[in-house]
Amino acid sequence: MATFHPQLELLTEHAAGSLSVAQSACVAAHLNYCAECRHSVVQLQNIGTALFESADPVPVGDVLLNRVLARLDEEAPLHHSSPADQAGSNATPALLQRLMQGDFSDLPWRKVTDALRITRLQTGDPNYEFALYHIKAGGVIPDHGHRGSEMTLILEGGFSDDRGTYHPGDFTYRRQEDEHAPQALADQDCICLAVLDAPLRFTGWKYRWMNPFLRLHAG
Amino acid sequence: MQVVGEKQNVWTAPTGRRTDEWSECLTQIAEHEDRAAFTRLFRHFAPLIKAFALSGSTMSATHADELVQEVMLKVWQKAGAFNPEKAAASTWVYTIARNCRTDMFRRLQKFDTPLAAEDFTPEQDGEEPFAQLQSKRSGERIREMMADLPADQTQILAKVYMEGKSHAEAAAELDLPLGTVKSRVRLAIQKLQVQFERV
Ligand SMILES: [Zn+2]
Repeated sequence: MATFHPQLELLTEHAAGSLSVAQSACVAAHLNYCAECRHSVVQLQNIGTALFESADPVPVGDVLLNRVLARLDEEAPLHHSSPADQAGSNATPALLQRLMQGDFSDLPWRKVTDALRITRLQTGDPNYEFALYHIKAGGVIPDHGHRGSEMTLILEGGFSDDRGTYHPGDFTYRRQEDEHAPQALADQDCICLAVLDAPLRFTGWKYRWMNPFLRLHAG
Repeated sequence: MQVVGEKQNVWTAPTGRRTDEWSECLTQIAEHEDRAAFTRLFRHFAPLIKAFALSGSTMSATHADELVQEVMLKVWQKAGAFNPEKAAASTWVYTIARNCRTDMFRRLQKFDTPLAAEDFTPEQDGEEPFAQLQSKRSGERIREMMADLPADQTQILAKVYMEGKSHAEAAAELDLPLGTVKSRVRLAIQKLQVQFERV
């Protein structure tokens, strides 16, 4: 059960369908772990339904009705159905499995520091990078700020920073002004999903030289 | 409002699923491929879907018609997945409309994503009946309470839900500070008694 959840604003935009693909995927992945937020999203969608039902109807002619009636015998397009229902379990969310097309170990990880490796997944989002971070047990991501926002969801292991300790399913959202240096828990490597709209920026002198290499890779 | 006992009875009775006209139509479609039921459903929902498509006025009339077709075709194809115990028919149709619109916007912006909006809905088949009942009740409550919201809050909810705008876009269009938009949305949501985890 998750302790750290997305802000109401993010859940609302997710429920209304206006969140960007990458951020929405991260929120959806949290929902996989969190019955409370699933319940909130259902209720938030009820607001959408109430507005939808009370909209001023715009007339639709019979031409359109007939066109649809004529198409009813069409075969429904095949949609990749997600693997078995995993809501509530701690297994990797189905949505992520589809983007990863394999296990964590099959991904092309790139070493950033001794403790940190990063791999990027393609969501097609033009503005947000969608990446997995692998932090060695006990390893620290150097002090960093964000030029934009950073959304994180723990998938395996956990980390702690100035705000607390995060376990699988826990969600964080940090803005530009926040600096932190998360440290993976001592007993297990940590894998987390990170969605960024600008590259990380290391603030400690030792790692600052790397900043030019940490360009954003949206898409 | 019905009393609890009555409602309990309605939704547990083996033959007596909670029925309203539109849920009944969906069941007829699922079980008998009933075109007459589909036509009734179309006449009711197509004008609402079109209104939904055109709100925010970024979509052309042609695309709005295309969206109506796409949504109603999905309604026909997926009627078998509709579970009247889980949601009202209007909620189910709204969800399909919202997903199709999101996908259409992404298609029109020519960005290519391996994910469809419906992939973002967690499978909730494991949801307890109690939670399902609560969700349906919240739908009824929200519908009743929506009428009592102050106009400035309804206006912003309409931007967020009907027009599919982010809080930031809503703020820009209404020429309000982002903080004001966020707090109005939050106030409205609290008045509608949506439960959420404080962050
Ligand atoms: Zn949550």
